[in-house]
Amino acid sequence: MFGRYRGTFRRECGDILVEAESVDGLVTYRRRCAGQTFERILVSNTGEVVINPVEPVNLPKEITDFLLVEFSPMMIEPGASRTVYLKFPVEIGVFVESARDIEVLDVFAFGTQKYTLYGSPTNGVIARYYESAVYPEIPQVDPFREGVMELSIHNTCREWVEVSRVVFESTDMKIYYGDFVAATATMKLLTKTMAETDFVDAPLRPGMVKSIELYTARKIPAIDRGYLMEWGFS
Amino acid sequence: MTFNVTEVLEIPLGVGDITVERLLYFAVILTVGVIFAKVVATNVRRALSERLPVNERELLAKLVYYAIIIWAFVVALPQLEFDLSGLLVAGGIAGLVIGFASQSVVSNLISGLFLMFEHPIRIGDNINVADVSGSVEDIRVLSTVIKTYDGIYIRIPNEKVFTSNITNYVHNAARRFTYEIRIRHQDDANEAIRIAKEVIETHPFALKSPAPSVFVDNLGDNSVNLTAYIWAPARNWWEVRTDLLWKIKRALEENGIEIPFPQRTVWFADGLEVKGGSGERKE
Repeated sequence: MFGRYRGTFRRECGDILVEAESVDGLVTYRRRCAGQTFERILVSNTGEVVINPVEPVNLPKEITDFLLVEFSPMMIEPGASRTVYLKFPVEIGVFVESARDIEVLDVFAFGTQKYTLYGSPTNGVIARYYESAVYPEIPQVDPFREGVMELSIHNTCREWVEVSRVVFESTDMKIYYGDFVAATATMKLLTKTMAETDFVDAPLRPGMVKSIELYTARKIPAIDRGYLMEWGFS
Repeated sequence: MTFNVTEVLEIPLGVGDITVERLLYFAVILTVGVIFAKVVATNVRRALSERLPVNERELLAKLVYYAIIIWAFVVALPQLEFDLSGLLVAGGIAGLVIGFASQSVVSNLISGLFLMFEHPIRIGDNINVADVSGSVEDIRVLSTVIKTYDGIYIRIPNEKVFTSNITNYVHNAARRFTYEIRIRHQDDANEAIRIAKEVIETHPFALKSPAPSVFVDNLGDNSVNLTAYIWAPARNWWEVRTDLLWKIKRALEENGIEIPFPQRTVWFADGLEVKGGSGERKE
């Protein structure tokens, strides 16, 4: 289903139907997913419809830029590094693209969403919550529901630390897709309660296609330095 | 009789050497300054519309706007032969006089600057200040504009805002709200708690952490009273609050747990006797 489409098309994957059909000369985009339908009339001469996974912080409505993934606790010795795999939720974005502009048309997803508070009510942030197991290898996932995150954890402090959650700023997120949806991220443990997280702009497997990002326009590249987790990670 | 423009421009106004020409120059410089300030402020707003929150963008645009106007004023003042260094001499007495005359204006101005930099409120926040509840529409130099929940425009002087107790409902990331749920004494309170927690869990914006808490709070005359504490994002708490209570009630009823009516059991020491008619005596 992910990819680029011109004119009319129809893609059906399980419970998802995405199509653009022509009725009386008007092209209508239609999506059905989990019992919900969305329709828009498209007026375009040269435009394309692009469907790809997007940052999972848009549903049921956009209230935050942060994604928190909770996983089984890991004890990490001083100086140790380890790459593990987590799952993260996938939301599907539909864009309309022309030579001069690109605009989001629709965002949908399977299942329910859950949000949480990271930090204190006074200074913390609201984050999309997701629970994942920790996998030593790339796990099997349904590309329309979950993605695989390759997380490289490096403990730079002098003590053992326990890690059971990681928070990302989704505006930094680089998502690639192919047979599955993937993202690559790093987590540098600075102290027992502070870590720096960031995404790596590289595909997990050669040949994967980079997703169009929803939040590219809002970023200021000069100060784009990942996210500092100040409220602990266990 | 011929009309000579140059002569008209050189007519003295009777205040020092100020002529009509100089007055016109002053007006033109100020006008250009105001137009330039508006253009620059509009472009600042436009350029930062995607990158800064609305309140910070507005603050920056206003700073740019007023800075350019002050700059134009300073540039234009020599046309009126106004010696700025003279202000230093005259400033003492004039400042005192103006200070007394414009006490409330200055007070509002200073309060406004503090409000802009201290950020107890931001544009779009839901607040209660000086007995006015609503959302902040604008924080101006002298006053703060609030739109009440029923859509009424209220302007409050900044001094009043600054010296009043400000309740900002959305300043923190998350806030808690409470439900009181009553069930019958014969219902299973543990089961009611489990069902309520299950319903709360299904709502995306009922936060996972801090976790919701449902517990038996007290034993009332007519009911067992449960209390539910639920945390939600501060800006979305109202939609969570209005959505969940009915769902909890329905889920409880579907599981045979009911919200009781007020009731009173009356015991008669000698039983109840109905006189007249075909009533029967009860023990």
